[in-house]
Amino acid sequence: MNRVITSMALLVLGLVTALPALAQTGEPIKIGVIQPLSGPVAASGNYVRMGTEIARDWINARGGVLGRQVQLLIEDNKSDPKEAATAAEKLIVRDKVPVIMGAWGSSMTLAAMPKLEEYGVPMVVETSSAASITKRGNPWVFRISPPSEMEALGLEKYLKDFGIKQADFLAVNTDWGRGAATAFGDLLKRSGAAVGATEFMDQAATDMNAQITKIKAGTSDTLFLTTGVEQITLVLKQAQEQRLARKVITTGGSSSPSQLIKQAGPAAEGTYHILFFTPWFPEAMPDGKLAKTFVDEWNKRGHPFEGLTEGFRGHDGIMTAADAIKLAGKPDPKAVRDALWKVNIMGVNGPIRFEKDGPAGKESGQSKPSIFIVQIRDGKIALPTFAAKK
Amino acid sequence: MEQLLQHLLNGLLLGATYSLLGIGLTLVFGLMNVVNFAHGEFYTLGAYAVFAALVGASVSFFVAIPLAIAVGAALGALCERVLLRPLRDESIDTVMLVMIGLWIAMQNAELLGWGGVAKSVGTPFSTQPVVLGHVSVSPLRIFVFVVSAAFIVGAHLLLARTKLGRAMRATFQDRETAALMGVSIERIHTITFAFGAGLAAAAGALLGPVFLLYPSMGDLASLKAFSVVILGGLGNFAGAALGGIVLGVAEELGAGYVSSGYRDAVGFVIIVAVLLLRPSGLFARAERVG
Amino acid sequence: MRRLGLGALLAVCATAPLWVWNPYHLHTLIMAGIFAVLALSLNLLLGYTGQLSLGHAAFFGIGAYATGLLTVKLEWSPWIGLLAATALPALAGWVIGRLALKLRGAYFVLLTISFAGVISLVSVNWMDLTNGPLGLPGVPPVELAVPGLPALSLRTKGAYYYLVLATVVASYLFCLALIRSRIGRALVALRENETLAVSVGIDGTHYLVLAAVISAGMAGLGGGLYAHYTRFVSPEVFLFSYTVTMVIMVVAGGKGTLTGPIVGAVIFTVLPEALRELTSWQWQMLLYGILLIAVLFFMPRGIVPTLEARWRRP
Repeated sequence: MNRVITSMALLVLGLVTALPALAQTGEPIKIGVIQPLSGPVAASGNYVRMGTEIARDWINARGGVLGRQVQLLIEDNKSDPKEAATAAEKLIVRDKVPVIMGAWGSSMTLAAMPKLEEYGVPMVVETSSAASITKRGNPWVFRISPPSEMEALGLEKYLKDFGIKQADFLAVNTDWGRGAATAFGDLLKRSGAAVGATEFMDQAATDMNAQITKIKAGTSDTLFLTTGVEQITLVLKQAQEQRLARKVITTGGSSSPSQLIKQAGPAAEGTYHILFFTPWFPEAMPDGKLAKTFVDEWNKRGHPFEGLTEGFRGHDGIMTAADAIKLAGKPDPKAVRDALWKVNIMGVNGPIRFEKDGPAGKESGQSKPSIFIVQIRDGKIALPTFAAKK
Repeated sequence: MEQLLQHLLNGLLLGATYSLLGIGLTLVFGLMNVVNFAHGEFYTLGAYAVFAALVGASVSFFVAIPLAIAVGAALGALCERVLLRPLRDESIDTVMLVMIGLWIAMQNAELLGWGGVAKSVGTPFSTQPVVLGHVSVSPLRIFVFVVSAAFIVGAHLLLARTKLGRAMRATFQDRETAALMGVSIERIHTITFAFGAGLAAAAGALLGPVFLLYPSMGDLASLKAFSVVILGGLGNFAGAALGGIVLGVAEELGAGYVSSGYRDAVGFVIIVAVLLLRPSGLFARAERVG
Repeated sequence: MRRLGLGALLAVCATAPLWVWNPYHLHTLIMAGIFAVLALSLNLLLGYTGQLSLGHAAFFGIGAYATGLLTVKLEWSPWIGLLAATALPALAGWVIGRLALKLRGAYFVLLTISFAGVISLVSVNWMDLTNGPLGLPGVPPVELAVPGLPALSLRTKGAYYYLVLATVVASYLFCLALIRSRIGRALVALRENETLAVSVGIDGTHYLVLAAVISAGMAGLGGGLYAHYTRFVSPEVFLFSYTVTMVIMVVAGGKGTLTGPIVGAVIFTVLPEALRELTSWQWQMLLYGILLIAVLFFMPRGIVPTLEARWRRP
């Protein structure tokens, strides 16, 4: 009897000491993801999420990170900054993630940023465009998407080809829309062009006829449009209805031209779009092979083709985070933060490497993404005639 | 000048849809004293029903619309029987909160069922605008305007001229007497709510193709509907019809000449002004239903 | 027996930071506390005057912006900020009360909705004042500075929890005193039968305005606490969903009681977080809506009154 008890005790003891070791090798590395999965921009948030899942599966198929599988903990910020902050807190405190990717909209990212500093956990920002995100002196922020100013610079070399003398702006009434209107407006003024009217639309608005009528009454030759694909569709349809004959350039990278062709039809003909990924010509991307493989995998999973122009952000964000963990050697937030400065990889958009941005001593990281322009011609996506030659 | 004309035309078209949204709500609000926060969700339901009919069952566009209205009315009747009837004697805020719960549940069910990506509905109308002098408008919007007007007139006739309409008005003026006269109170309540829901679904079925379909599309619609109801006076049918036009035109002119950012403020300011100066609504002398 | 229960509850609350070791749970409790203050404020109007304000998020938001702007742009002390967060919305409440004058019922509701709508639009569009959609990041934490000692920053969760708890208790006691006073009795008289109350000389408008002022000020204080806790104020504080949440807490908790709103606040802050754990994000809100309907069906007078009635039965 005693022997049975003793051997059982030894067995239990053995298991108890062995278990942590067993758990360690099996335990996955967690990466937090905060996106708007419900609310007015749910489509975009979901596309990004789909991109993160592809990245995770590819990484795990190649053996994971540091020999462990990657697990994504995905939180919905419900398009509300308060929820973004709560989600960040939950991921950091409850789930103990060493790094987060998020949070799509600029005000959601800004709301989560104090939590990053409070707990010392880095975040890879994949979509937000407000300049203040990297200028606030938060050393835990690393952005791979371009701020509006950088996006405007990307347009600079094509300005002469566009031949813009005066442009109007119609933007969504959020930090993104306003920031874009300011950034592109400054670009135009620097280059000798004039700025006409600057109109805004509420994020949930569906009727923009008043703004279009006002713009039509002006003398500009170009209209800059900054908002999500849903509102762009509505604006283009209503512009067609009012016979607004202008050159239209959409900014922000969320215009999903394929979806526009489907939903706006002839109203989208001739419009230009600034994007950060051209899934119709993946070979033209800096790493053509990676881009093509990504497009194929996306299609294989049955995801809507329109979502590619945003889904890649999720992929690049997770690749960046995973690479940082690998360089750090351990899933420790501070080590990962330091490692992020050393990241030098090729994402779907192009090279990802962080430069210092913001007040000295507390810089955030900002990468310089590639910027592309496409045009809708004859119901298909094409490179603008002048760009094809370059 | 042509800018003004276009603005006025925009406002008129927009206003007609606001009217359609408003009359359903004012009936339920005025006659049943129910603050229907889920009104916008029946609007959304109407739109998605058209989408489902067109894409799923491949019916014609002109069949899909009445179908969507029927679905909306049926669900409205169901909600009244299951949710509102047991709570008939509760306070107005309990009922209001139940409607809020319904709003949350319905919207998230749409999100779950259809996903967050916006959908567009194809129509048999050409996208080339019709040009009338200096202004232009799409054929679809003309169709929507005509049908909305027809619905508004039809609803008015139902209430004013038919036996059912009289029964509805009687029930809400004096329940006991109406019951003594042989009106089935239970049935009238159900029919009234179904009517309101059906009108909301009609607005959604008509406007879905004009704009886009997404699960939270009803929120803005609800807000506009409430504005229209106040403008016209609670329970005031004709007031809601006219109030919708007033709101549409005011918003258009405000956005066009004052500021596009403050566009929605126009509606709110009007409400505040009306409430302070003439709380019974701008059209108080018009026929009251309840 | 009741005293014992109350004492135990207070002890539990007072020592929470010591045994709630997970900062995320403490975060939930802090948010519950802030919402408790908000729910108590709404309850003053809804439960005691019978008037429903569906624009209460406006007072919450004005309070948040008041302290946010003063502490970020002018760099004043957060204590002055909190004071402004109470005073400015109270002023707004006075304006509403006076504007409303003869409006009752649904008309009052719609006036408050419109007011909130206008304020929300102003916060988004008046870039120079409020920074528009970008919001005000970097709101400083509250500091406790006693002369002679180094300043104690209430940055840590535990410290902030006590600040919020103190505010909840103070609000509760204030409401209790108010209800028991002559003012409270007048409010109840107006709620039960306004015509009768007026006929015995109670000035309906005067008391409604008073209730609006106090209610708005309290909601503003909640907004101030929120601003210094989340350290970021943006136009989303005016979201209608905040108002809806407050109304749910008051009505489901039990309007017209003082513990009802607090219970409602705790339940409806913890519930969404619990749902976040249990189900995927697609189902969370759907379940929330269904649960809300269920609570209202089985306990239409609110959780607290229903439970109290059940305990009283032998």
